Amino acid sequence: MRRRLFKNLFTAPCTEPVTEGAATLEVAGAQLRGVIARSLGRSLAIREVDAGSCNACELEIHALSNAFYDVERFGIRFVASPRHADLLLVTGPVTLNMREALERTYAATPAPKWVVAVGDCGGGCGVFADSYACVGAVSKVIPVDLVIRGCPPTPTDLLQGLLELLSGGAALGVNTRHS
Amino acid sequence: MSVYSSLSACLGLIALWGLIGLVGLLRPMSVGFVGRTLFPLGALCGAALAVVAAVSLASPPEQLTLAVGLPDLPMHVRRDALTSLFLFLLGAASAGISVFAAGYFRRGHGTAPGLLCLQYHMFLASMGFVLLANDAYAFMVAWETMALSSYFLVTTQHGLAEIRRAGFLYLLIAHVGAIAILLSFGVMQGGSWQFTFDAMRGAHLAPQWAATAFLLALFGFGAKAGLVPLHVWLPEAHPAAPSPVSALMSGVMLKTAVYGMLRVTFDLLGHAQWWWGLVPLTFGLFSALYGVVFAAAQTDMKRLLAYSSIENMGIIFTGLGLAIVFLGVGMPSLGALALIALLYHSLNHAFMKSLLFLGTGAVLHSTGERNLGRLGGLIHRMPWVAWLTLIGALAMAGLPPLNGFVSEWLLLQAFLFSNEVPRPFINMLLPLGAALVALAAALAAYVMVKFYGVIFLGQPREASLNRAQDAGVLERIGLIWLALSCFALGLLPTYVIGALRSVVEQLSGAELPSAHAPWWLLVPLPERRASYSPLVFFLAIAAVVVVTMFAVRLFYHRRVRRAPPWDCGFGGLNSRMQDSAEGFGQPIRHIFGPFFAMKRELPSPFDHAPRYRVTAGDRIWLALYLPLGTLVRRVADTVMWLQQGRISTYLLYSFVTLVVLLALVV
Repeated sequence: MRRRLFKNLFTAPCTEPVTEGAATLEVAGAQLRGVIARSLGRSLAIREVDAGSCNACELEIHALSNAFYDVERFGIRFVASPRHADLLLVTGPVTLNMREALERTYAATPAPKWVVAVGDCGGGCGVFADSYACVGAVSKVIPVDLVIRGCPPTPTDLLQGLLELLSGGAALGVNTRHS
Repeated sequence: MSVYSSLSACLGLIALWGLIGLVGLLRPMSVGFVGRTLFPLGALCGAALAVVAAVSLASPPEQLTLAVGLPDLPMHVRRDALTSLFLFLLGAASAGISVFAAGYFRRGHGTAPGLLCLQYHMFLASMGFVLLANDAYAFMVAWETMALSSYFLVTTQHGLAEIRRAGFLYLLIAHVGAIAILLSFGVMQGGSWQFTFDAMRGAHLAPQWAATAFLLALFGFGAKAGLVPLHVWLPEAHPAAPSPVSALMSGVMLKTAVYGMLRVTFDLLGHAQWWWGLVPLTFGLFSALYGVVFAAAQTDMKRLLAYSSIENMGIIFTGLGLAIVFLGVGMPSLGALALIALLYHSLNHAFMKSLLFLGTGAVLHSTGERNLGRLGGLIHRMPWVAWLTLIGALAMAGLPPLNGFVSEWLLLQAFLFSNEVPRPFINMLLPLGAALVALAAALAAYVMVKFYGVIFLGQPREASLNRAQDAGVLERIGLIWLALSCFALGLLPTYVIGALRSVVEQLSGAELPSAHAPWWLLVPLPERRASYSPLVFFLAIAAVVVVTMFAVRLFYHRRVRRAPPWDCGFGGLNSRMQDSAEGFGQPIRHIFGPFFAMKRELPSPFDHAPRYRVTAGDRIWLALYLPLGTLVRRVADTVMWLQQGRISTYLLYSFVTLVVLLALVV
């Protein structure tokens, strides 16, 4: 016990260095931080909605919060209620059962808000396309501002997508009129 | 002196109450006559009594010998400051309750309205006479009339076995208490065989006999007040009685016990030893905690209020104990403070508990439901009752601008100086009482959140609640009267304490230090620098609310959107998903587990129709009353063989008795 305590005090945590795409991540993250600070003034609050995903996208989204990516340092925060969210991150081919929940979540999110569909399923062409149990793309249910493709997209992809959304054409408030 | 005397005015008004009751018998079946005419008259009578009593608070005592009673045993009556205060309480609270009752009693079930009117007004009149009585005989007659008339009122719906059972339990404990009071008077006459209170004031008792009289009185009046462990009748009788009667019993009748205790301790016995105070203090603190913990576990709204009454009586008796200790060790200003706190709390409790009981009455009337598990969302259907009850609930929770806070604050002030009592150990233990009082007050707020939230907020738990009607005009007037009284007592404490001054000076024999503070600032002990200004508090709260509303109107972006509550996307939020009375009380039931005799019925995972039940029983009932009942029954069974049912056996008994007596005499 004592040895472990001292070891933890005096040595760095045993993690691997970020190698692949580390530079891209840092660049995208720094830009994102600047964009968020400029456009929102505070941090970006994201509510993740699983609309019938296979959970691969969730694994990647979850990875954003781990020690490798640590997106909170860029001013991005995952929140527990759509009432607190600026952005909905929707995954999965919207299943019939999740359709109403998605609509309700969208309705519960205060405007102005963004919707980002994540993964090939959310974009409408995943392996579940045209299934009898699915509605299809997220955009068939609620208005979508951006689709981040990939099966699943990597965390870096996600960050770059968000950077695209915030700095690119999509001004905050596209979804305002749908409220 | 002028022809007018406030004593005879009080007597006249009390007699008028009796008369109103008798008039009810003329047309016993007419709800219109009894309800719309007699009950409002009774309310006027109460209001007049309150005015007479309030005016006479500071005037010197007066007494009379009435020409009624047994031969050579006339009834004596007396009015002094203490009597006036409690007469005011009786008159003012009963005025509101009677107006409410005028709209409340309807035809259909139980006792006929005329008879009810007789019992009700007899109850009022006997309470008034208890306060005026100046000899043990008159006191006991009034006391027993009070117990009997309230027994009949409790058993209004005598068709139900459980109500008869509740009534019997009430009567039993009332009588056990009355015997103790009678014995106490017997001790206090001190060998003079004069049973007037004047004689008792003059009697010089040995310390051990004075202590005996005090303890007997504490037992007797404690039984009426519902002190633990004599509290068992309260949670049975209050739900059984019609709501105005519950209000009257809880709000006013319990206070007659406080009156009796004050009368015996400070007036009849005179020099109380300081250690006597520890007994009511201990029982009071225990009752306060016990009552509030049980209130948190209740699922019947009137039972909940009954346990809350036990808590409040506990707080009042705590104040009594503290006052005796302070006065006994020669700290008159602190003793006076404790007395003020206890008298103030008696007044407060009379109004706020009556208000709450009447609120439950209106709910019960409109929904037919007493179980918290089948109520909810009534604020939309019954806004008048809901908002007025809210005032009572806030007062009961002890929140600042209202009256409940003032008296608890005063009591805590008194407690905080109890470390200066010049007795070792006691001065270390007494401040702990402050912690218990604070705990009870905090839990009382918790109980009130549960009471109010489950009944009035959220969604209705039954479809039938959507047909609930708001209270009628008379009922509203009664509620408004009591709610305004709560406000007045809360906002103008300096005036109330000014009025209590003469009572406290009579009881403690000490001159109160005159306050130099402005009229809006309450400074109980000038040299201690603790002060409270409810009016400023109230204005500050009101100002903050108004300013916030204006700010939101002016500066907010005006894009307000009304959306359904967030339900995690599942939809179909229904009333069964709300916090229930059981669920809300669960943490308290868990934390204070040893207080309860808990029985749980848990379903197994394979049950087709799973049921969950939990009952929180009273350990004192199981450990004390049931064995006692069994013992009495066993003794009765043993003695029963004497009763053979044959006349020859009984003749033999008479003969044997005669022979034994003759042998003894000769």
